[in-house]
Amino acid sequence: MEVVILVLVVIGILFAIASGVWVAIALVSAITAHQRPPAARLPADEKDVGQDI
Amino acid sequence: MHAVLPILVVAAYAVLLTFVAVRARAAREFAEFSLAKRALPLALVFGSLAATYVGPGFSIGFVGRGFKSGFLFLCVGLAYSVQNILVGLFVAPRLRRLKDCHTLGDAIGQKYDRKCQVVAGIISVGLCAGFAAVMARAGGVVLVNIFGLPSWSSVVIVVAVTALYTTFGGLRASVITDAFQFTVFAISLPIMLLLVFLFHLDGGAATFAREASVATKAGFGSTSAIEIVGLVAAFLLGETLIPPYANRALASRTTRISRDGFILAGVFSVAWFMVMIALGVAARSIIPESTSEDDVLLSLVKSAMPAAGYALLLAVLVSVVMSSLDSLLNAGAVAFAEDIVKPFVKLTDATALNIGRCATIVIAAIAAVGALAVPSIISGLLICYTIWAPAILPALIIGLWIKRPRPLAGILSMGVGTLVAVILWIILWIIFKFIYPTEIEIAPLVIIPALVSALLAYVLGHWIGNW
Repeated sequence: MEVVILVLVVIGILFAIASGVWVAIALVSAITAHQRPPAARLPADEKDVGQDI
Repeated sequence: MHAVLPILVVAAYAVLLTFVAVRARAAREFAEFSLAKRALPLALVFGSLAATYVGPGFSIGFVGRGFKSGFLFLCVGLAYSVQNILVGLFVAPRLRRLKDCHTLGDAIGQKYDRKCQVVAGIISVGLCAGFAAVMARAGGVVLVNIFGLPSWSSVVIVVAVTALYTTFGGLRASVITDAFQFTVFAISLPIMLLLVFLFHLDGGAATFAREASVATKAGFGSTSAIEIVGLVAAFLLGETLIPPYANRALASRTTRISRDGFILAGVFSVAWFMVMIALGVAARSIIPESTSEDDVLLSLVKSAMPAAGYALLLAVLVSVVMSSLDSLLNAGAVAFAEDIVKPFVKLTDATALNIGRCATIVIAAIAAVGALAVPSIISGLLICYTIWAPAILPALIIGLWIKRPRPLAGILSMGVGTLVAVILWIILWIIFKFIYPTEIEIAPLVIIPALVSALLAYVLGHWIGNW
């Protein structure tokens, strides 16, 4: 039982850290996108209503 | 050195946060202030949702509950995870599909009528101010530990800094800073747990398992079945689609992103609760048993981390609080402008933006004053949950699903749900405080009867409306 609990806790730790890294990458691309001129922005997808944040 | 380091680290963190907030830019129109022009990508919707719900309750509060009652609160917390996933699957996409919808009140107004929108707006603003007061109190507790300032001035600092960037940047600034704050705590607190496991737990896994077993048994022993059912109901329903979450559902770039953001946030919450509860259980063999629940995380950090790590973790705790507080201030302000003012006055975009900004400041001030009256972090959150679920959920969810919802049903459900929750809470508080003094959590006992009353009122209103 103690092994199961520990494995679940370790999975939780790894998942949380991986989520943090993923959001960090998205954050960096979001705030650096503001530096680019409008023409360099990616085209919006088919349901876009406005520009990417 | 030990006294100066935390101040330096928190100051450096504040500078970095300001840089991120400035990069988010000031909102120039109301659509930017309220919904970031409906252009949020998945990672930011997910990060911002998770940063908003991981406030002091789901960090400081859960570590404290893990310390006292082991994995009991993991079972309760899973109800919250299920709720997020269900909202992602069934409600968020429907909400996102509505046109010209800025708030929950807007959604209710489109489905029922303008009166219902105003009532939903008043409830939204009140609840946002209540939740914000709980966040402000928690922020004050953390800053008192860093600077040793009086409690009131710590609350004022946290609220003022958060209100500053939210007032100018609106939802865009809130989401960008949330993502930054999420990154900071989603990485650092799990790493801290790893360090505690590796270097501070005498006896290793066996000690952890023993403490988990003892605490969990004690938790189940000291909590009645009705309390557990009430807590599960509170976590399942109490925070469902509160205004900041609804704003993120509405601000997603597509309906699919809206759905996936909620589902991912629900899955993340399972991992997060596991980490927080494990920190609380691990703390049992490191800090004194008499430590109060709200102080467990800070005491653990102080005992287990070097001075620099302690300082960094204090900054993390500040970010946990601020990321929830900014979302609540923005959501409350948008609800005020959109649901309470706009139905009565035709506003230009610039005026709506200015009203939103002023409302942010006023709600922040109310939260700062209200923080002094908050009993404890978890109790404060439970009071807000108890009112929100019966007040809004039946009208909102039924309204999104049935074809011709009746305005009378919406008004009756919201009115009766709010009144029954408030009156029952006051009656039970008087009973358990003065007549039969007992250490019992009142909120879980209120939510189910209040929710049933709201549903019955809805059915009655619908029946009369059909006549």
